[in-house]
Amino acid sequence: MSTTTERPTGARRDATAVEKDAPEPPSRRDRVLTWALPLVAVCVLAAGMVTWWRASGHDQEMVDEAARRDRVLIVATSHIETLNSLDYRKVDEGLKGWAAVTTGTLHDQLTSVSEEDRKVLAEQEKITTGSVMDAAVTELDDDTATVIAAVEITVRDGSASGKDAEPTVKRNRFAADLVKVGDDWLLESLEQVAVNMS
Amino acid sequence: MSLLVRRWAPFLVALALILGLGAFWQADRERRTDHVGNRAVVDAAATSEAQSAVSTGLLQVFSYDFADPAPTAAAADEFLAGDARKEYDLLFKQLQEKAPGQKLVLSAEVQVAAVKSLDADSASLLVFLDQASQRSTDKESSISAAQIAVEAAKVDGQWKVTALDLF
Repeated sequence: MSTTTERPTGARRDATAVEKDAPEPPSRRDRVLTWALPLVAVCVLAAGMVTWWRASGHDQEMVDEAARRDRVLIVATSHIETLNSLDYRKVDEGLKGWAAVTTGTLHDQLTSVSEEDRKVLAEQEKITTGSVMDAAVTELDDDTATVIAAVEITVRDGSASGKDAEPTVKRNRFAADLVKVGDDWLLESLEQVAVNMS
Repeated sequence: MSLLVRRWAPFLVALALILGLGAFWQADRERRTDHVGNRAVVDAAATSEAQSAVSTGLLQVFSYDFADPAPTAAAADEFLAGDARKEYDLLFKQLQEKAPGQKLVLSAEVQVAAVKSLDADSASLLVFLDQASQRSTDKESSISAAQIAVEAAKVDGQWKVTALDLF
């Protein structure tokens, strides 16, 4: 009987001691609070950061390809205009320009224009100016591309007799293949898209 | 140190949790964001869908048989809208007037159609189109090559040509 009356008193004394300054044995709940919860929080943070980082680059490949497409279109437009332009007073310069924007067999053809042909070009006294009205990329890989272009070609007669004549204007459809050489895109072929009715 | 840690630990844990969940939420938002403004060429499936719809449409709209103009009119209903539709209607009216007399037959073929720009509901294309015309009255026939800048819009899931600009 005496033990039953004493136990609660002792327990109460213990409890007050804990409240005051006890180095209590850590309970299960406390261990969870001190270790598991922070660990979970750190894991969530790390996983969240990694997921965010990966998500931010989810369409990077497409973004890069779109940039490549835009670049190809700009370069092709300029190159096609170059190849459709020639001033009889500056034939050598013009041919050099053609050579600079081409590669492969097209380049070989344009660089092997004979002295005679150059003379003929100069004697025709024509100033040809090509201007791309509209163009679009049809195919695109890492280092090859195909572009189509609607080109307006203006030919002026530079001879004394034809100086006052109206320039002739024609419209052409072109398809061009480009390849990447180093950092540059160069024309590998430039062909007219001929009428082809089946 | 123990006192300091005890006081701040709950805040740090809560902060880490909030930032972590925030990062997941951001990741989700990021994944749904489209960083490619112009999907022409880079989105192969969408590009070829627009390409073939416009090609099919132009082919039918620019083909015409004086003896049976109904398919052409139907194609105009199906594939043209907006300004393109209005302009085409004028053209078609003139055609209807002179075609029977000349026994005119037009047949069109699309050589190339390339997509310049593309997003979910609008596209612009450059199209090279050939058109042959035959008049059986004087056995005259001619072929013309056209370069057309095309604007298209997606209406109820179908691409329609809204503007045609011939160079």
